Amino acid sequence: MTSFRFKRTVFDSLCFAFLLAFALYAFIHPTENQLLDLTTNTLFFLGLSLIGALVSYFLSKRNIITWGQMIFAPSHLTHNSEELAWYQTLWGWQAAVTLVVLFAAGLLSTKFSIMDLLDEDGFNGAVRLFKGLASPNFSILPKAVVNVFETIFMAFIATALAIPFAFVLSFLTAKNVMQGPVSFSIYWLLRLVLNVVRSIEALIWAIIFSVWVGIGPFAGMLALMIHSIASLAKQYSEMVETVDEGPIEGVLSTGAGKLQMIWFSIVPQVVLPFISFTVYRWDINVRMATIIGLVGGGGIGTMLIQYQGQAMWGEVGCIILVIAVVVWLMDQASTYIREALK
Amino acid sequence: MNSVNQYKSDNLSSDTILSVRNLEKTYPNGVRALKGLNFDVKKGEFLVIIGLSGSGKSTLLRCLNRLHDPTAGEILFEGLNITQVKGEKIKLIRSQIGMIFQHFNLIPRHSVLSNVLMGRLGHTKTWKSILGWFADSDKEQAMEYLRLVGIGDKANIRADQLSGGQQQRVAIARTLAQNPKVLLADEPVASLDPATCHSVMDYLKKVNQELGITIICNLHFLSLVRQYATRVIALRGGEIVFEGTPNEISDSWFKEIYGQSAKEVHIN
Repeated sequence: MTSFRFKRTVFDSLCFAFLLAFALYAFIHPTENQLLDLTTNTLFFLGLSLIGALVSYFLSKRNIITWGQMIFAPSHLTHNSEELAWYQTLWGWQAAVTLVVLFAAGLLSTKFSIMDLLDEDGFNGAVRLFKGLASPNFSILPKAVVNVFETIFMAFIATALAIPFAFVLSFLTAKNVMQGPVSFSIYWLLRLVLNVVRSIEALIWAIIFSVWVGIGPFAGMLALMIHSIASLAKQYSEMVETVDEGPIEGVLSTGAGKLQMIWFSIVPQVVLPFISFTVYRWDINVRMATIIGLVGGGGIGTMLIQYQGQAMWGEVGCIILVIAVVVWLMDQASTYIREALK
Repeated sequence: MNSVNQYKSDNLSSDTILSVRNLEKTYPNGVRALKGLNFDVKKGEFLVIIGLSGSGKSTLLRCLNRLHDPTAGEILFEGLNITQVKGEKIKLIRSQIGMIFQHFNLIPRHSVLSNVLMGRLGHTKTWKSILGWFADSDKEQAMEYLRLVGIGDKANIRADQLSGGQQQRVAIARTLAQNPKVLLADEPVASLDPATCHSVMDYLKKVNQELGITIICNLHFLSLVRQYATRVIALRGGEIVFEGTPNEISDSWFKEIYGQSAKEVHIN
């Protein structure tokens, strides 16, 4: 089977199976237990897809243009001799119905409800909340400021401690430095580990660490540090891989060893980008530190969730203001420093 | 008239410092850059290698100090076969062979003096060099070499703030700091204007005649070859097509080296 025919058949069969499945769901109202029977449901869906594939094949044999054909086939095979409007063609109706059903399924799945939006009690509660936020209770300002310093320092230490590890790792995960069979395996393994660490959001790391060292800023700091090491190492190593070869040849030609080569020909070329990335990471860490506090990472985040839990919106408003000011200042400082480094 | 590819005698005379036998270099993409080169280099020579771009000049030089690894053949440095050595031994060989490049290959953000001290890296312990603890005698020698090439007053200036000719002189000083036996020069003046060209070539000549360092230099311009070389080898398509003194390059050899439609360009 040529490529476009395969793609068309797959697309149409999925389309068909989706529509049928939705229709069955709407008419049969399966119970929760029936929904959880993954094996049966998967087999069922595959069966529907098979039927859909047959339908698609049957239609193409009759030269009737399906939606899949419109999308995947080359233009000379999708051209209609009579200039028909979409509502006069099969593919037009197939597309329209599928989109409508997709939309409906989406609204049902997210439990979209105009009634909930218009609910009077709920709305009044929201108004109360916004009023509270708009008139911050500044009596807790001193405590908030103390806590936000805890957050800023958490971000700072996390970034600072991440630097030496990321620095060393950046060379161990750079292709142009790690040449030769042994080195390449190390490179490959470290890249894999760092990718996994980076994929786990700092928030999850904070939960892990709060179980290990207890809830508080230490857990938050460790979470940010681990994540920063992985992120910085990746950014650093990308810089290392793009350095100019010239100075490397120049240093090697004198009889220098590997470490000397790295220190004298690579490091001077990457110092400025490294600093720039580090400042950027500190900026991100300050933002993340506020959120990490929500899962027990200490600092202003913990204070925020305490007041939010008690629905004390005036206090929450004050905290939000403090966070906004700090993040904005940090953003300004970070941009300013990185401009100066260019 | 010297014949092409004549490999002299099998006896290494005591004044031969480098000997190349059947040197081959084929790149991973299949390109054969060097096709069985044979030649000797005598101590104290100013050997110039000429040829078009792509004739294999740069590859040849880089094989001599093992920046590239030869595919086949032998290189003998002072009688020792250096073709297959690895690790520490390569560092030892490289420290005795200095190299300067077309684009200088200095460390732009470091000072001139620091760049010259790179020449001592092969002789300084790693941890000391990283901390910048070079021996005082090394620093004094470095200053002397800077004065030798006429830029003693620029020692503490950042290397990237110098002109092209000055940077190349720093590169020369760096190789001198190695106290090398051989100095390889890969198109050292190709990026310089004519006047600076001569200035740098004069320093190379000075190094060759006053310090007795053997020089192997890739050049483009025949007029420079005639002024500085004691012996010439011409490469074409990875093979030697001429070997002899500069005077022996007649018009017909010129066309052989550079191609039928080539015309000589003079730089004054």
